[in-house]
Amino acid sequence: MHKKIKAVPESIPKRSGLSYESRTAWLFNTPYIVYSVVFLFLPLGWAAWLSVTDWNLMSPKYNLVGLKNFTQLFTDDNVQAAFWNSFRYLVPIVLLCFVFGMGIALLTSKLPGKMKGIVATLFFIPYLTSGVATSVMIKYVFSYNSLLNVFLREHYQLNINWLQSGAAFWILIGMIVWKMGGYYALFVLSAIESISADVYEAAVIDGCTGFKKFIKITLPMITPTITSVVVLAAGLSFQIFSEPFLLTGGGPDLSTTTWQLEIYKTSFVSFNAGYGAAMAIVNAVQIFLTIQIITWIMNRVNKKFGW
Amino acid sequence: MNHKKIKFHTVIIIIVTLLILLITLFPYYYLIIQSFLPWDMVDKSFIPTKVTLDSYTYLLNRGGSSNPFMWIRALLNSFIVAFPTAVVSIAVGLMTGYAATNMQYKGKSAIHSSLLFQMFFPVIILLVPRYMIVKPLANHYSGMILPLIISVWGIFMYINYFKTVPKSVFEAAKIDGASDFKILRKIALPSTKSISIIVFLSVFMTRWNELMWDMLIAPNINVQTLNVMISTQFNQNSNIPGPMYAASILLTMPIIILFLCFSKYFKEGINFMLK
Repeated sequence: MHKKIKAVPESIPKRSGLSYESRTAWLFNTPYIVYSVVFLFLPLGWAAWLSVTDWNLMSPKYNLVGLKNFTQLFTDDNVQAAFWNSFRYLVPIVLLCFVFGMGIALLTSKLPGKMKGIVATLFFIPYLTSGVATSVMIKYVFSYNSLLNVFLREHYQLNINWLQSGAAFWILIGMIVWKMGGYYALFVLSAIESISADVYEAAVIDGCTGFKKFIKITLPMITPTITSVVVLAAGLSFQIFSEPFLLTGGGPDLSTTTWQLEIYKTSFVSFNAGYGAAMAIVNAVQIFLTIQIITWIMNRVNKKFGW
Repeated sequence: MNHKKIKFHTVIIIIVTLLILLITLFPYYYLIIQSFLPWDMVDKSFIPTKVTLDSYTYLLNRGGSSNPFMWIRALLNSFIVAFPTAVVSIAVGLMTGYAATNMQYKGKSAIHSSLLFQMFFPVIILLVPRYMIVKPLANHYSGMILPLIISVWGIFMYINYFKTVPKSVFEAAKIDGASDFKILRKIALPSTKSISIIVFLSVFMTRWNELMWDMLIAPNINVQTLNVMISTQFNQNSNIPGPMYAASILLTMPIIILFLCFSKYFKEGINFMLK
């Protein structure tokens, strides 16, 4: 790298040096290009190829099976569960992240100057925490001999296997919302802060205060940020892995399983690499379409209510 | 602060906010307290009546002669994997971001489309092929680091930042005869201080908390990251939860302290995240 810097002439002809600029630009892009060829485009082509084979991850032999993997997806209970669960995760995660993010941001924005920054930062802390740390703790909190379960057994004769019950899904939702709420609040807070004081002053002169001011001014001014937060949260609900992997294994009755978990298990536990690749492709199509639809809806909302 | 100036409803808001904050952060309080309690009191007390380092010395002595200091090594492994990733993400983000915004060249739009494509692309599709490509490097740091070494999100942070910098800043340096390399090092890098700090911390954090890839490619206990080790060692119901809390402290606190130290840069940087 250093040698190349020295090879560059100190003064460069301004306009005629376009090809030189081109070369330098490509040099700047080289690391990214190398990376994306090796770790994006090559694996992508490979994955497409795998999806029409029955390769088992180990053996040198495999058969071309055409679209059999894809047709098989439609009758696979685990795949069905992963498909529908992504929407089951998406709705509460988006709604709750929105509610908590907005709530925390609105409260924080009303705090006196110095507290504002500190409180916003502190709300951000859960975002930094590894899903593994929270998962092992939650697993322990809900284990048979935990404080909670001993208490319930002794006082109410209740014996609940939390992580294999209907509550498991909501425990996972709670963990994710706890983790992400303060992060999204930071975006909303930053948007609220960027509304200029003039706008509010004009509104107050026009007799617009309190809740009305919020509905008529704050909310429309921050709809672009809300759109981003909703899309981010929707995307997030397709990325869930650590929590169900460590806590529920996807159970009970596949109610907490996710695409990530199913693809991981299919590829590396049951060694159906070809079938796993087909699952991943269908997953990608689902993500793409869902995000498109949500973006479309949010843009309509933006046009109607935004400024 | 002048207390007479604070209105009644501001006080209510402060109390409500702090209450929510306390509930949000309670798990951390609990984690810290439990990691320092003697083992017979773990999970039985919310107040640190007695403080010991039992849980931490247990971690220090775990592994015996075959895997001495396995927890310390796991902590080091996490650093060894996360640190270069964060540094390279800054370097590549800076170069690619600068080229995308301040240079004219053939193929620019192709690179930009590739970046956009990658930004929204679900990485899970690449899992098996990436595993096959990197398999010869299994249980080596390089195998853990390389496939995740570039952050497309980081590149976009730089692109969004450079878009807000007037082109004339770099043009002027160019007219003075500075090469693009020199501009990048002497003008662009120092001006992106807060962006670079955010990219560094976020990439470091994401890499530190990675589970799936590290678990797949580096199952060997000598190269396991702390995150993976906690998931394998404490994923069964143990009757000594103290060390679990201590290990979780080791995992979460370095990141939290890093972020708190640099939190003042976030206010500036957050504006570039959503564009």
